[in-house]
Amino acid sequence: MSVKIYVPRDSAALAVGADEVAQAIEQQATARGIAIDLVRNSSRGLLWLEPLVEVAVGGQRLAYGPVTPEAVESLFEAGFLTGKTHPLAVGPIEAHPYLKNQERLTFVRAGITDPLSLEDYQAHEGFAGLRAALALSPADIVQQILDSGLRGRGGAGFPAGIKWKTVLQTNADQKYVVVNADEGDSGTFADRMVMEGDPFMLIEGMIIAGIAVGATRGYVYIRSEYPDAIFVMEEAVRRATTGGFLGKNILGSGKAFHIVIRKAAGSYVCGEETALLESLEGKRGIVRAKPPLPAIVGLFGKPTVINNVLTLAAAPYILSHGPKVYADFGMGRSRGTLPFQLAGNIRHGGLVEKAFGVTARQLIEDFGGGTESGRPLRAVQIGGPLGAYLPDSLLDTPMDYEALAAKGGVLGHGGLVVFDDTVDMAEQARYAMEFCAIESCGKCTPCRIGSTRGEEVIQHIQAKPAEAGAHAKLLRDLCSTMVNGSLCAMGSMTPYPVLSALDHFPEDFNLTAETHKAA
Amino acid sequence: MNSMTAREAQAVEAALSRFQDEQGALLPLLHAVQDTLGYIPKQATPTIASAFNLSRAEVHGVITYYHHFRQTEPAQHKLALCQAEACQARGCRSLTEKAEAALGCNLGEHTKDNRWELEPVYCLGLCASGPAMELDGKLYARVTPERLESLIRKKELS
Amino acid sequence: MDNNYPLHDIDYGTPKSVSEKTVTLEIDGFEVTVPQGTSLMRAAVVAGTQIPKLCATDSLEPFGSCRLCLVEIEGRKGFPASCTTPAEAGMVVRTQTPHLAELRRGVMELYISDHPLDCLTCAANGDCELQDMAGVVGLRDVRYGYQGLNHLKDQADTSNPYFTYDPSKCIVCNRCVRACEETQGTFALTISGRGFESRVSASESQPFMDSECVSCGACVNVCPTATLMEKTVIEAGQPDHSVLTTCAYCGVGCGFKADMKGSEVVRMTPWKDGKANEGHACIKGRFAWGYATHKDRILKPMIRKHITDPWQEVSWETAINHAASEFRRIQAESGVDSIGGITSSRCTNEESYLVQKLVRAAFRNNNVDTCARVCHSPTGYGLGQTYGTSAGTQTFKSVEKPTSS
Repeated sequence: MSVKIYVPRDSAALAVGADEVAQAIEQQATARGIAIDLVRNSSRGLLWLEPLVEVAVGGQRLAYGPVTPEAVESLFEAGFLTGKTHPLAVGPIEAHPYLKNQERLTFVRAGITDPLSLEDYQAHEGFAGLRAALALSPADIVQQILDSGLRGRGGAGFPAGIKWKTVLQTNADQKYVVVNADEGDSGTFADRMVMEGDPFMLIEGMIIAGIAVGATRGYVYIRSEYPDAIFVMEEAVRRATTGGFLGKNILGSGKAFHIVIRKAAGSYVCGEETALLESLEGKRGIVRAKPPLPAIVGLFGKPTVINNVLTLAAAPYILSHGPKVYADFGMGRSRGTLPFQLAGNIRHGGLVEKAFGVTARQLIEDFGGGTESGRPLRAVQIGGPLGAYLPDSLLDTPMDYEALAAKGGVLGHGGLVVFDDTVDMAEQARYAMEFCAIESCGKCTPCRIGSTRGEEVIQHIQAKPAEAGAHAKLLRDLCSTMVNGSLCAMGSMTPYPVLSALDHFPEDFNLTAETHKAA
Repeated sequence: MNSMTAREAQAVEAALSRFQDEQGALLPLLHAVQDTLGYIPKQATPTIASAFNLSRAEVHGVITYYHHFRQTEPAQHKLALCQAEACQARGCRSLTEKAEAALGCNLGEHTKDNRWELEPVYCLGLCASGPAMELDGKLYARVTPERLESLIRKKELS
Repeated sequence: MDNNYPLHDIDYGTPKSVSEKTVTLEIDGFEVTVPQGTSLMRAAVVAGTQIPKLCATDSLEPFGSCRLCLVEIEGRKGFPASCTTPAEAGMVVRTQTPHLAELRRGVMELYISDHPLDCLTCAANGDCELQDMAGVVGLRDVRYGYQGLNHLKDQADTSNPYFTYDPSKCIVCNRCVRACEETQGTFALTISGRGFESRVSASESQPFMDSECVSCGACVNVCPTATLMEKTVIEAGQPDHSVLTTCAYCGVGCGFKADMKGSEVVRMTPWKDGKANEGHACIKGRFAWGYATHKDRILKPMIRKHITDPWQEVSWETAINHAASEFRRIQAESGVDSIGGITSSRCTNEESYLVQKLVRAAFRNNNVDTCARVCHSPTGYGLGQTYGTSAGTQTFKSVEKPTSS
């Protein structure tokens, strides 16, 4: 019997040479006359170990990483095919504390299966949620989502069940399910990992949503910076259609659902749901004023469920295990789990799915192992480019929408970007404004002009320490205009990183205790 | 008005035949044209507009809104360096300086001989393994200055 | 002058709601009842107050971009835009609070940081909503200075013979773009680029004359600044009064305001309450009114006996008697069918009716036609197919809400 070897095909593995490693393994095996079964699995999310090669030995999967093409020969020499040790040996991967201490509901199959194998998917509970949903009435499916407490994972945290219910209750000849896969936040990659690593789960979630609200067409809007995710999703849709899970008659139920994959074109604002809909309609990605809500007047003017990848990816689990099992995780009004993403200057960066309530410190220290540079941590940006920078003193805040908001923080899409003490926080604030200026759609004034002025004011603070006080006051006033006056989160939340940097690190803005207080 | 070259016209025609009848498919159409040619010819705007029953203004508004779309021919090699926070925390600023020095052009510009263009990109989703970059369509992570220089050299020789 | 009309109409900010259901709410302590679907902005005007605004105007759907019209609603978070928020029963709305004042000043400060400070010599001086709003919100200082990134050096496009486009004065409110879509339906305008680089663009960022623009002037009409400006106003200055009139170009009967300076027309603007045009116009009525004072314009009746004779100015009575006697003479010499009448497509239905009456009753034949049958045949065909008759006798309102009788 041939030995099963797993080499991930997640782009975080590909970008550090996974294809070259796979090639080297095949060459070595051929040269040595060893029969191997090379599976291109997805990533487990222990990204500092990528490319993480696994070998199935005696019912276990033993891991080695990070493997370079050059190291492959020595792995063969050392006998890794029979689980022998090697300097790169990680041991039985399932027992790794990074994985063992997680609560994986959404990422339950990540790294285990071949992402594009329908058989593999179904052998690991795949489509159980869909089968459960097909036995329920639309209203009952919606009720399960409501009971699970699932909130939108894109950042706003709006209860998904309420969105679904509104679409269900709105009559129309056509309804849509739209997946927001425009994961533009720096420090986040969970959507990408779902699409590349477990695409059928997302497809299953979309079909469930479609059946629940009476939508027969779905769109997945994926950012153009994710070519691998686009490729895998397109292939997965083809295979799911051939397999009878998509099309005119899903699993013989008489219900129809079709999915189209759409590639975005480089606009961060298109991650905002109404701008995304405009873009799907072939227009400029300009934010729409609400009301009307997309649930009532959405894509092409029709009622539309628009949810983040992780939101819809949670639906299969909720349907197959029941809403209570899901809701039992979490704290307060944040139920279930969130796939946190540890990024930036961190030793063990990767994906950590935990119930809401875990603290940033637990994530960064217990899982992440502190900074990669080994220098003291100075700030953590949570929630993407529109999220606040938190100093070390706030890292014990539980990761929950409300608890974090109470500390001026934003949970967003669950990304944590760690900075060590070499960071210049005024520069980070300037960048936040610059990013807003680059990405502003240009519709509303506070964002269109404010972001450019914001960058200029911070440059002034950086260049002229003597005038820093007056300009810090102007910066605060500008931020207030942007927070309260902007049309969408781009303009209204860009001040979060700016003000948090100013509040927690005034010394970087050439401010003394006195001038800081006056501003 | 200048007309499209035969190659351009063919690319636009092929893309139109794929997407003309799909609802709201202006973006997929523009992608298809750009994927084939490397850019969207300015002269294609009237053709696209009339096929989609749009005005030229509408098509122009869309093309100029999205930073991914371009109306000029790309350089021979495209290096896109991530400039976002997670990569900043992992040294993308100094890597960018290295790239600018190695190529002799600034971020957002192309070299005089148009062999290289150096573009910023805002997140490639490789935030735990930065600095990340895309070179001629292929992703690279944990890029050190040495690795960057050797990759550039390899392209120069090819 | 009987037809004297206010130079500036009341702008309700958003279009009227036609709902028969009403809602009652409180705005700034006053109770007001409005049709369901009415925006808070419009309800405020009904209640007797004006909420500051720049991107809203009542001929266009609300857009929500300028962020001056923000209000506070009891029990709601944040500051919703009054243009895009529908009035609901029982709402308690405040349009003026210290926080709102600060916010609006903050927004205006941003606008003015990218706007020339040449109000005194600006063609829109006295008719500029940006200037008005700076006054309304009490803007006293632009702390950003004027050294930052700006569009002050953008060059004006004067290619169109009737109006100029000066991007240096543009506040990107999108009113022009929306007017081209919603009012005119030509879609000749868009915004090119995005963010701070957003610019109004005619077709492919071209001069207006090379673009798809048909010079209807709807964009100029809604522009709140001097960005899109009639050349006649740039030359002559602002009008001092306005006279209501009907366009003389065709039989549609568009209502117009002739904006006057003394007895001279400075511009013709389509009248909002015109039943046949509802505030819209075509290039002819809007801009091509030079004939009004042209030296070749005929002001008195003239007759001549023979085509080779010079024209003679005569009284109306002489002219009519001459025409009548000539008709009679020709009929006596050549028969009843030897004369007839053709009405111009510029004639109103009433005028065409009178001509056919003249032909049938006085000429005693059926030799009558209208040139509209040829040159407006597509219009006639469309109307015939849609409404069963080719006679366009309806107002817009009656088409929007047809009743069968």
